Amino acid sequence: MIQLTNIEKYYANKGVKNYVLRLVTTTINQGEFVSIMGPSGAGKSTLLNIIGMLEEPTYGTYHFMGEDVTSLSERKRIELYRNHIGFVFQAYHLIDEMTVYENIEAPLLYKKVGSAERASRIADLLDRFNIVAKKDLFPNQLSGGQQQLVGIARALAAQPSIILADEPTGNLQSAQAEEIMSLFKKLNEEEGITIIQVTHSEKNAQYGNRILHIADGVVKEDVAVLS
Amino acid sequence: MFKLNLKIALRNLWKHKGFTLINVGGLAIGMACCLMLLLYVNYEWSFDKHYKNADKVYFAALNLKFNGKLATTMAVPNKLANAATTELPGIKSAARMSMPGGPKLYSHDQNHFKLEALSVDPDFLKILDHKFIYGNPETALAEPNNVLISASTAKKLFGDQNPLGQSITYDNKKSLKVTAVIEDLPKNQTIRFDVLQPWTFLEQENPAEKEYGWGAITCLTLFQLKDNANLEATNTAIKNFVVNKEPNLKEMTYQIFLFPLAKYHLYDNFNNGKSAGGKIDQLRLFVFLAICVLLIACINYMNLSTAKSEKRAREVGVRKALGSTRNTIMGQFMIESLLLSVLAMAIAFIILEVSLPYFNNLLDISIRIDYGSYQFCGLLLGIVLFTGLLAGSYPAFYLSSFIPVKVLKGFKGSSGSLSIRKTLVVVQFSLSICMIISAIVIYSQIQHLKNKPLGFDQTALAQIDLEGEWTKPEKLSLFKSELQRVGAITAATEYAGSFTRGGSITGDISWPGKPKNDVSIINYRSTGFDFAKTTGVKIVAGRDFDPKFSADTATSLLLNQTAVKTMELKNPVGTVIHWGDNPPLKVVGVVQDYSNESLASKIQPTVYYYNIKTSQVLLLKLNPAQSLSTSVEAIKSVSSRLNPAYPVEVKMVSQGMAEKLRSEKLLSVLSNLFGGFAIFISCLGLLGLALYTAEQRSKEISIRKVLGANLSDILILLNKDFMKLVVIANLIAIPAAYILVAKWLEKYDYKISINPWPFLLALLTSVLIALITVSMQTFKVAKANAVDALKYE
Repeated sequence: MIQLTNIEKYYANKGVKNYVLRLVTTTINQGEFVSIMGPSGAGKSTLLNIIGMLEEPTYGTYHFMGEDVTSLSERKRIELYRNHIGFVFQAYHLIDEMTVYENIEAPLLYKKVGSAERASRIADLLDRFNIVAKKDLFPNQLSGGQQQLVGIARALAAQPSIILADEPTGNLQSAQAEEIMSLFKKLNEEEGITIIQVTHSEKNAQYGNRILHIADGVVKEDVAVLS
Repeated sequence: MFKLNLKIALRNLWKHKGFTLINVGGLAIGMACCLMLLLYVNYEWSFDKHYKNADKVYFAALNLKFNGKLATTMAVPNKLANAATTELPGIKSAARMSMPGGPKLYSHDQNHFKLEALSVDPDFLKILDHKFIYGNPETALAEPNNVLISASTAKKLFGDQNPLGQSITYDNKKSLKVTAVIEDLPKNQTIRFDVLQPWTFLEQENPAEKEYGWGAITCLTLFQLKDNANLEATNTAIKNFVVNKEPNLKEMTYQIFLFPLAKYHLYDNFNNGKSAGGKIDQLRLFVFLAICVLLIACINYMNLSTAKSEKRAREVGVRKALGSTRNTIMGQFMIESLLLSVLAMAIAFIILEVSLPYFNNLLDISIRIDYGSYQFCGLLLGIVLFTGLLAGSYPAFYLSSFIPVKVLKGFKGSSGSLSIRKTLVVVQFSLSICMIISAIVIYSQIQHLKNKPLGFDQTALAQIDLEGEWTKPEKLSLFKSELQRVGAITAATEYAGSFTRGGSITGDISWPGKPKNDVSIINYRSTGFDFAKTTGVKIVAGRDFDPKFSADTATSLLLNQTAVKTMELKNPVGTVIHWGDNPPLKVVGVVQDYSNESLASKIQPTVYYYNIKTSQVLLLKLNPAQSLSTSVEAIKSVSSRLNPAYPVEVKMVSQGMAEKLRSEKLLSVLSNLFGGFAIFISCLGLLGLALYTAEQRSKEISIRKVLGANLSDILILLNKDFMKLVVIANLIAIPAAYILVAKWLEKYDYKISINPWPFLLALLTSVLIALITVSMQTFKVAKANAVDALKYE
């Protein structure tokens, strides 16, 4: 599903190249739950952003579902992540001016889903995450865990085949973190959604079935998790 | 999508109420100013455009040599109209119009009114359409004793009776028959009258009119061209029309040309025989001012919106990550700015409706909002769209260009866009400072003209028309002595015409040593005795007319100083001067120059002669020992006793003098008012920028505070940048304003010299206002707890 070949990313500063990623080559298949781990500044988030097409690699090729992303136009790329990718952020990044309902609805609007279909999908998501009662509240009226639930619901609304999560539990207390992680696991196992998460915590990484260890921009280890 | 965008826009506006208030307030004031100015411009623009034939009607204008310069006048020989219509192929019809000669007395039963009357050829009503209530244009002016009146005149004279066929008495001597009533003239019409009479009536009243030759310019003439006529061809044909008839006029040039009636109101200045603008220059200035004010308001919006960008940046990033295209996001910001601009327009409208009566009153005009007109609705819609799109464009482009990754990583707006905003602020302030400087200079020029020594004493100087009984010399002298007896006045003198208006001129005076080719034009005025005593004009040589000298009533003259200069007389008193067919005239005195006709331009050479019969006005020096109203009452009671048929109207000369500064006053009021608003809106913009910078630098400030900076250090740090902008704006504005102001002052013969203090004042004001505005914001930031800003990083 995702095939990265010799991905490099550096920032040139006064002629000196500061490498963030070096010759990263890996393949992620449909249905995998991958955790990217490593110390601060290792390049984890950059790798995730490149996978999510928010950033472009300086060098290397990236095939997403058989298509070469690096040569795609802006419009095509937007088309791709509208349909296939859902993002979950550490800081939730819900839109403050929108209610819970509207936040979940936003990606569907961009995807131009019909209104009846929209309503049924949102109702389904609200129901699944037990946040029906909160649908008319604004993000700042919710706790962090609840906000992240909405964030995940929003990522799922467009029915993506892959979810990219950048430290999804970084701002949460451990009880809430566990809840979110089991939710990811469930989504992965029951619905076959591919999940790639960046995390610091060994414990969270154990929820997945594969761990990529990165240090100084290089993939040091690629291990399978035994459940 | 649109619905959601709208909803979010509304929520956003509601959430940041203070911000919305500043934004909408600024836009609303800007729009109200802009609309007000445009309404005024439209009002002036609409003059004389309502006639059906407006594009085919022309005034005959005449170029003639006048004191060595080519002067242009609308007065032409009365023979021109008929001769040109029969001889020139392009002209469809023509109508003569008498020169406006001041109000005349018209009465019906006991109702006496002084009304403005014009005598015109019957074709006048075909050339210019009027709305008839009674009668019709074909027959209205058929007979000499026919009269056409306006609706309000009919109401005055006849009350609610049907005026048609009723009789009106003219000047207590002639009976006229009402043949038509028209609706009151619109205010934006140049040719004004209460009463219209046939030209034949004028000829009956003044038989000499028929005898005038081509050299006498005694009336106005309107031409209507044929539909297919070529204006240029007609102009060429008519150019030397008069000279061909009367070759000896050639030395005075005497060329006729056609000038569109519809343009006359705006282009009434002529220079060297060519149209040289007029009111249009002022209008252009006002349109420019309107656009500037609106622009300033738009810049404000852009500044404030982008200043808020940091708060919106994250939203943009998330939306983009969710799959929104740039266009959708731009749409969102455009909707917001359009919404705001609609809201601002609603408020601007309220401001406009509330202030319009005051504005009308202030400028003595009648602007009305015509809600039914497509033009007005179009204008409104246009301004809303223009403002919304212009104001929203920059924020939309700027904000939607954010790259999601950078934003989500905590990006803080780029410094590049700040410099665009700084440029906008500089533009805003430059415009405002220009306006302030202009306002100050205009004000001081008006004060200069007002306070300039007039050369005569306008306090308690009044004038009344000489009519009815007063045309008999013995009754007039009885009236004067009676007024003095009751203590209403201290002195009185007859005068040629209204003291504050112009009068007759002649080229027919010769003096010892006059060069052969000299065609100097000299003004002449008739007066009575006590001219100097009444008006307070100084006699600098010789004496005033005096009843003791019998020759004074026949062969004595007074000159003013300019006339002495023009004639280059060394010892003016005693000089003998020849004037037309009169016996030789002797100069008995020289009066000091005084400005009564125009405050702005040079005094014309003038001769004075004694003649009560040709004088139309009695000048009165009211008794300074008692109040004006007491004197006026006394004059009224004496007049109604001795001259009962003519209601007396006492006009103060000082009022007439004040009216001369009307257009300057208008300019001053508008520039003060709108300059004030412009600087106010600009300050709102500066506040927005201060808000932005303070937010932008809150972390830096907190770190500095933690490191030990005190309040004043931080205030200086923050204010310094803004002061730089304001100083740059001044550097741009001051030379620009200097050029502008110098150009404006050019047209005045008497003007202030441009000194540095208006510029200094504007500089200080702008810096001070900016300092206060910025400090309000920066003080808050500087005082804030450092930890709050650092915690969230």
